[in-house]
Amino acid sequence: MKKKSWNKKVRGSFVCVLLGIGLFLSLFMPPVLAQQKLSATIYFDYSYYLTNNGPITTPPPEDSNFKNNYFNFRRVYFRYDNKINDNLSFRLTFDGDYVKAVDASGKKDDKFRPYLKHMYLQISNIIPNSDIKIGMADTITFKLAEDRWGYRSVAKTLLDGYKDIAGEDIDATSADVGISLTGKIARPLRYGLMLTNGAGYSHPEGDKHKKLMGQIQLIPMAGVSMVGYADYEKQGPGAKAVTYKGDIYIEFIRNLTLGAEYFIYRNDLNLQDTERYDRSGFSIFSRYNLIPEKLNLFARIDRYEPSNHAENDEIYLMIAGIDWAPLNSTFRLQPNIWVYNYTDPLKKNDVILNLTFLMTF
Amino acid sequence: MDKKKRHSVKKIMARAGRASLFLALSLLFMHHQLTAQRKMIQIKGSDTMVNLVQILAEEYMAKRPGAAIAVLGGGSGTGITAIINGTCDLANHSREWKTKELDLAYEKGVRPRIFAIAVDALSIVVNERNPVDKLTMVQVGSIFRGEIKNWKVVGGIDQKISLYGRQSNSGTYSFLQEHVLNNKNYSQEVKEMNGNAQIIEAVSRDEAAVGYVGVGYLLDEFGQLRKGIKVINISKDENSPEYSPLDKNSVYSARYPISRPLYQSTSGKPSAAIADFIKFELSPEGQAMVEKEGFFKISKELMAANEKNLK
Repeated sequence: MKKKSWNKKVRGSFVCVLLGIGLFLSLFMPPVLAQQKLSATIYFDYSYYLTNNGPITTPPPEDSNFKNNYFNFRRVYFRYDNKINDNLSFRLTFDGDYVKAVDASGKKDDKFRPYLKHMYLQISNIIPNSDIKIGMADTITFKLAEDRWGYRSVAKTLLDGYKDIAGEDIDATSADVGISLTGKIARPLRYGLMLTNGAGYSHPEGDKHKKLMGQIQLIPMAGVSMVGYADYEKQGPGAKAVTYKGDIYIEFIRNLTLGAEYFIYRNDLNLQDTERYDRSGFSIFSRYNLIPEKLNLFARIDRYEPSNHAENDEIYLMIAGIDWAPLNSTFRLQPNIWVYNYTDPLKKNDVILNLTFLMTF
Repeated sequence: MDKKKRHSVKKIMARAGRASLFLALSLLFMHHQLTAQRKMIQIKGSDTMVNLVQILAEEYMAKRPGAAIAVLGGGSGTGITAIINGTCDLANHSREWKTKELDLAYEKGVRPRIFAIAVDALSIVVNERNPVDKLTMVQVGSIFRGEIKNWKVVGGIDQKISLYGRQSNSGTYSFLQEHVLNNKNYSQEVKEMNGNAQIIEAVSRDEAAVGYVGVGYLLDEFGQLRKGIKVINISKDENSPEYSPLDKNSVYSARYPISRPLYQSTSGKPSAAIADFIKFELSPEGQAMVEKEGFFKISKELMAANEKNLK
């Protein structure tokens, strides 16, 4: 017993000495070399259903405790950037989300878990005016639209959130493992090319086929961008999936951003009565800075068509809200309202009010 | 419309009404902030310029009751990005716009107007105990690229050189890299500090140190060289005479080899309020304040370009 307590004492002193050395070093060591940056983005909502008879908001008859208001932690990004020099850098991002898991005993849970979103090396100017990313990086599919929309904390852009809204997959992912090349040919002409495994960052590669993406951005006048995008991935013998997308962004009006995007997704494996059906979507969005970095307004209308062969399956989604930074831009309150309208006459509207909290550092 | 449906529509309307009321109250609550913020001129950017522009702004506000100006640092890159994103009215920057920034501005429909408001002599400082008094441009470049690692190579004592610099969003970092390091990378050994004041502080404590700062940071409030540092004289090459950044004549005659204009940019033609502040900075009174703060007045050519940009 005595020996144990003596060991404890020694261990305690040892820890104290280590802490002391650590404190001393942290005070007198020079600052960290190279440019390293840790940053984080966190957002969560309080949601309240304003309707109770739409497909989302109707309480099931057997569930008297149906969740019609709730807190929802949606994302946490922890990001580490290391700029080795002006032409070489790398990024590591951990994304946090509810991830379902089953442990060895078969116990299931859906805890908020971190997983890897980015892990890439960026090399600039090997080809003049270009950036090459190698590893798990943002895809070029909706990066431009997301930058213009600017409210990822409130809603994903059309392609990114298609599955969440329409319930149908269009094979679009925000990050994937592969290699990308983006750059400019001239000031009004930019390009992007990317080759990835096609499975996205949340799955290991499942087949031998790769996904090829290409994009051209034309800026005919300052503040007006037209973007053409296409991707291709072989799905198996004689089958392929392609996406075509066109975007327009108007940004020359001070404090106002307007954007529109349309896409069509064709997958030879999507068959209805042996005939292929296509999925498509359309989105118009805008944001206006009332007081830059303090108070902004945003609004968006999306149209989702999960199948061009199905009748009355279209969904319209309208989102509008306010983005307010009450103290400084690291903490923002974003009250927003979502209205779902269905072309199916049997489905009534869903109206949901969200209060989104966004924090960055 | 049947009874059930009418009841449901009523319910939705009531809930939507409550939501609208909530949004309206939020807007009302923000309204006073909105009106106050709209009037304020927001300036962001260069750390080298932040003290100078703050003093100019204070003087301007004293002369124009009701005018409100907020000046923030963050680095030239931060200021230029803020102008592109529409989050400030005036960007301070101690370097020219980079091609990437001009490309982004074009994409976003921002047509910058650029004004030179002062001239800075970029100064190389060492610890006061360092025996080295002068360096050539080539030697400065080699030191910050990490090719010369010991002070004895440039006439000092046998001691490893300790490098202090800025982060890449700093205009001073970019200017030195472009004009002295021949666009090559800085040494990995450079300790990146947040601002000029931190570099001065670090150099004054480290006998083996060398750093670079704007000339306005060399002197204290009494016009004396700050304690613990020495300003290095710079020559274009081995055969040229060396000059000090503190020597007005050598800077005005462009014999001091690393001087640069300090700029401000607006998005498009400046508004009347912003133009009035810029005019004050460019006035004889404003330029006298520039000199008092340790920087230098702008030339007639730069003044003529400014006047053209104000129209």
